[in-house]
Amino acid sequence: MKLYVRIALCLATGVVLLAPLTFSDRYANLAIRMLVAALFASAFNLLWRQARLLSFGHGVYFGAGMFAVVHLMRANEAGLNVPLILVPLAGALSGSIIGVLCGFVATLRSGAYFSMITLAIAELIYSLGPRWQALFGGEAGVSSMRLPSMGLSFAALNEVYLIVLGWSAVGFATIWFFAKTPLGQIAFALGDNERRLQFLGYRTHAVKVYLFALSAALSGLAGGLLGVAAENVDYTVFGPASSAAPVIQTFIGGADVLFGPAFGAALLTGFGNVFSDVTRLWLLYQGIAFVLVVMFLPAGIVGSLLMGKKRPLREAIANTLAVLLCSASLIFLCESASILLSDSYSSLRASQDGSWVSYRLFNMELAPGSPIVWGLPLIAALTGLIISWKLKGREETA
Amino acid sequence: MTYLLTSLVNGLVFGLLLFMVSAGLTLIFGMMGVLNFAHSSLYMLGAYLGYSIGRWTGFWTALLLAPLAVALLGASIERFMLRRVHRHGHAQELLLTFGLALIIHEIVKLVYGPYPVEYTIPTELARTAFNVNGLNIPLYRLFIGAVAVSMFVSLFLMMKYTRVGLIVRAALSQPLMVESLGHNVGFIFLLVFAIGAALAGLAGAVAGAFYPTGPNMAEDLGSIVFVVVVVGGLGSLEGALVASLAIGLLTTLTVGLDWTLAGALAPLGLSGWAASIGGPFSITLSSLTGSLPFIIMLFVLLVRPAGLMGERA
Repeated sequence: MKLYVRIALCLATGVVLLAPLTFSDRYANLAIRMLVAALFASAFNLLWRQARLLSFGHGVYFGAGMFAVVHLMRANEAGLNVPLILVPLAGALSGSIIGVLCGFVATLRSGAYFSMITLAIAELIYSLGPRWQALFGGEAGVSSMRLPSMGLSFAALNEVYLIVLGWSAVGFATIWFFAKTPLGQIAFALGDNERRLQFLGYRTHAVKVYLFALSAALSGLAGGLLGVAAENVDYTVFGPASSAAPVIQTFIGGADVLFGPAFGAALLTGFGNVFSDVTRLWLLYQGIAFVLVVMFLPAGIVGSLLMGKKRPLREAIANTLAVLLCSASLIFLCESASILLSDSYSSLRASQDGSWVSYRLFNMELAPGSPIVWGLPLIAALTGLIISWKLKGREETA
Repeated sequence: MTYLLTSLVNGLVFGLLLFMVSAGLTLIFGMMGVLNFAHSSLYMLGAYLGYSIGRWTGFWTALLLAPLAVALLGASIERFMLRRVHRHGHAQELLLTFGLALIIHEIVKLVYGPYPVEYTIPTELARTAFNVNGLNIPLYRLFIGAVAVSMFVSLFLMMKYTRVGLIVRAALSQPLMVESLGHNVGFIFLLVFAIGAALAGLAGAVAGAFYPTGPNMAEDLGSIVFVVVVVGGLGSLEGALVASLAIGLLTTLTVGLDWTLAGALAPLGLSGWAASIGGPFSITLSSLTGSLPFIIMLFVLLVRPAGLMGERA
């Protein structure tokens, strides 16, 4: 890449990262969540990218960080005087402690067994959560207040964003630097062939525990940052959804690229925030996107952009067109189904003697009985499929 | 005594239900190395399909059709999706089934809404089987047990004494050798996946009428089924049976016990001190019921990684 392109890219990134400092609370909050998700997914991916360990229970370490930070902020309210900028470190600390304990057990095994143990640990903590009132605050959770510190009030979220940005930068730098250390290199070798590493005399279990602890510490840091911003937390943070999020985001973004998980996390958090106001099917679309990426883009979005073979412009445009056609008709059909199957629509039908009354979608008045409503999306989807099939055929002959 | 007896019956039935779901999972895992995250979603689909089909055809026909539909779905998942990502390794297959579980969960919520549906027991089975000390044992519980037992017996006989079972067992341990002997291992995989899906669907259709049929039933059962497979041992049907019964009995027997760690320290004269600390010392055993399977699983993995009856670690 030419030098001035690099400088321009760096400047643009800097502007994008610093812009939230001027945002109102709603968008500063979104920026914080995107950054936290990016750090969390990258921390999760430390285990997968280097040691090929797939954890399905990282919500535990994220939640441990969040609880630690909220409890520390409560202690601050009671008179302990820890500057707010150092508070997220408590998250990293508690994440690493829990990480060493759980990691020691989980990394006794590899492969699918490792995934199942991490899942079991997460389920264990999740089922204990509501029982341990003093620590997890039961159903209501634990809340606290940010106190002013170092001349800043930290009442508005754009001031908190400064802390989040700083600590995320430290987290990302750690992940980047760790891959270059000897231990990081051994972790890569572990992912390739653990048995060979054992024959070379390395204590692979110790390496895996170190790696797990680092990953858990950074997850705890991410959780701690969210704890500072959200000021409250309850036991549902240990639930399956928060452990599934980094998995989905990482593999959509691209697990084998350093910043793939961060990209996927920021993208999906941003989209999720925008679309969950518009549709209640966002999780369905996210799941479908995840399955499609796993099947057709195993390297993820960033991975295929960086490492995929160069295509002629015409093919790239045709491919994009096919994807757009298919997803547009899929979204239309799903949204229609969601309206037509809802309780409010069936009670509307009942009031009109069971006739299929028309419904509103995307500012259009649509009649469920008309063939155009169903035919047009189907034709669009079919066209998209034919285009991608033709492209694939050409690829195979070439 | 009454408590013990009812708990035993309930525990046995729950254990047998667990076995119906985990039998397919352990066969698929043992044979293809694929940890099927979507397996408990297939169980949930079985329940919902049983409910939907049952509204048109009645309970008994639905009990036949719902597992068939789930088997068809399972077969197409194996043929068109899993086989595609197979060359990228087991982790990619695991991720695919994980994504499928998410999609099935959302689709069920889209079609049936977020609340449980009214899937009820047919009237001819909604009776009391027998009465012990004034407590009624429902006939339907015994029906669930009978379905599971007959399923285990026929599966066991098929695996042990038929030619198909012989080839499946051979493919479990030596897929490459079986393939070079001229058997279509790809088709055997498809068959095992479809049968496993059908068993999960059958379990769902039978159990859904008794337990609540809601969009969370897959999540609730899913992780316990993993526990059964790990504790029982990779690919071992007998191990899955023993582990399911043990976990089913243990979870139902502990539900009514309010023992605490503080109480256990009483002989040492420390119970007052422990109760004053609270936290983990004052959690009752009954509220730990949900966590118990995972504690057992961690213990088994540490002590006997291959599982109770597994041959390989």
